[in-house]
Amino acid sequence: MLNWMYSPAADLNLSLGERLKKFPREPHMWMYLLRSVIALCIRFWLKVYHRFSVVGQENLPLGKSFVLIANHQSHLDALCLTATIPFKHLHKAYPVSAADYFFSSLPRCAVASVIVNGLPFDRKDKSSESLEICRQALKKPGTILILFPEGTRSESGQLNRFRSGIGRLLEGTGIPAIPCYLDGAYGALPKGSLFPRPKKLTLRIGPERQYSREGSGRETVKKICHDLQGAVKSLRPAVSD
Amino acid sequence: MQELLKQLTEHVGSIYLNYLLAISAVLLGAGFLLSSISICFGKPLSSVWKTYRSWLYMAPLILLTLYLGREATIVSVTLLSFLGVKEYARATGLYEDWWYMTMIYIGLFAVALLVSIPDPGTGALGWYGFFMALPVFAIEFIIIVPIARNKAKGQLQPVALSILGFIYLGWMFGHLGFLANSQHGQGYLLFLCFAVPISDVAAFTSGKLFGKNKLRDQISPKKTWGGSIGSFAVSMALPWLLHFSFPHFGWVELVLTGIIVGIGGQLGDLTMSFIKRDLGIKDMGTAIPGHGGLLDRLDSLIFVAPLFFHMARWFHDL
Repeated sequence: MLNWMYSPAADLNLSLGERLKKFPREPHMWMYLLRSVIALCIRFWLKVYHRFSVVGQENLPLGKSFVLIANHQSHLDALCLTATIPFKHLHKAYPVSAADYFFSSLPRCAVASVIVNGLPFDRKDKSSESLEICRQALKKPGTILILFPEGTRSESGQLNRFRSGIGRLLEGTGIPAIPCYLDGAYGALPKGSLFPRPKKLTLRIGPERQYSREGSGRETVKKICHDLQGAVKSLRPAVSD
Repeated sequence: MQELLKQLTEHVGSIYLNYLLAISAVLLGAGFLLSSISICFGKPLSSVWKTYRSWLYMAPLILLTLYLGREATIVSVTLLSFLGVKEYARATGLYEDWWYMTMIYIGLFAVALLVSIPDPGTGALGWYGFFMALPVFAIEFIIIVPIARNKAKGQLQPVALSILGFIYLGWMFGHLGFLANSQHGQGYLLFLCFAVPISDVAAFTSGKLFGKNKLRDQISPKKTWGGSIGSFAVSMALPWLLHFSFPHFGWVELVLTGIIVGIGGQLGDLTMSFIKRDLGIKDMGTAIPGHGGLLDRLDSLIFVAPLFFHMARWFHDL
């Protein structure tokens, strides 16, 4: 008789803090349950308090791996974008979050990993390694990365220049990028304020873009960034409230 | 001072007070011994200190639970079995399969329920007959999973792992909760929670002092016959020393208790060791610093609790 194949959890000997920071995370029944319940509450609250609405939901190629790209104005952004994902795909949707901010202390780690399901991204020293983690994650079918290419929340509400990371992630791959624009989040919860104001939030989801034929290199990266920035900008309503 | 002791005895009972004093004395003595060894011989002993520090919060937690009584004990045992099963499932890889985990969790709830409710026939606390028959239903629940999902490939392994997980870590460990239903429950539980770790420590100490020949080198290379015999000797003495925990026990029961703790405890330890060795891991988790996972601490108790339960019930009813 041949031996059985066991697969012990990869984070078996890590402490709680290290386990929360690790990516990919091990499947965890209770965490999924908690996340689903909290997601339900968040969706309810967004709907009632912020009159959150989505335009272009049909543009999401659910079932395939893809990257959601949006403008970044507040902490509400990741919650709103996640709220567009059906529950079936919720645990495969990872908002790419700054490791130096969201994974800096145990309580933040807990919120970022259990509730937000964030992918810790080291935007300072190890951005190449973090990009590789993103690439590996996208190889699993059905993975959804939620990414803010501006790299940080906008302080003016204007769309800032896209960082090169998104271009490096997408160059030469067939992974669909879905541009989105979330309107109203700057008025609701700008950088530095604590409690959200009951502003209306609207998310517009544009048609997918692919860069498999662009080749690679610095120029391509620039081109992808530019193209995506244009795509996100074009979704912005003419008169923003 | 005597007045205070008298009042305390009236409040918590003499058995509990004796253990409170004994455990405090052992912890203080061990702390003193460890500091003198590290000062006199200049050994750092950092890993032993870590183990010791964890005892400093585990001992009060156990004492508090047993002070609070039957309900608190059953809740704690249930909680421990849930966490223990989770550790086991994460270590084997079973945790990824929600179907089997759900079935095991249902089984654990059933254990807790049957331990808590009274027997409808006799009115005694804990539905003993159903509790003993529970494995039949649990195993059938687990076995129908492949049928329910119409899947055969690779199902024998998770079925087997689930059955072992539920029976060993859920149902057998659940006997510890059932002991709380006994009128002598507090004495039994205090004895087990005190004697099993002491025999563990005795194995470690006498192994260090007299250990030469390996006990089971393919399973746990650090354990020696010297340690094993030392632990057995201490375990045989403990029921006599702590006879006040179960004053109704005659010499036969005391000898059997010694054998169960002395041999069963070590077998429980070796059981968890061989499981870990087969899985290729060192510890089951990181729940208790200096000890490893929860199951690394509970291993002996899981083996001892059902044996002690049936021995006590055979002679004295519950």
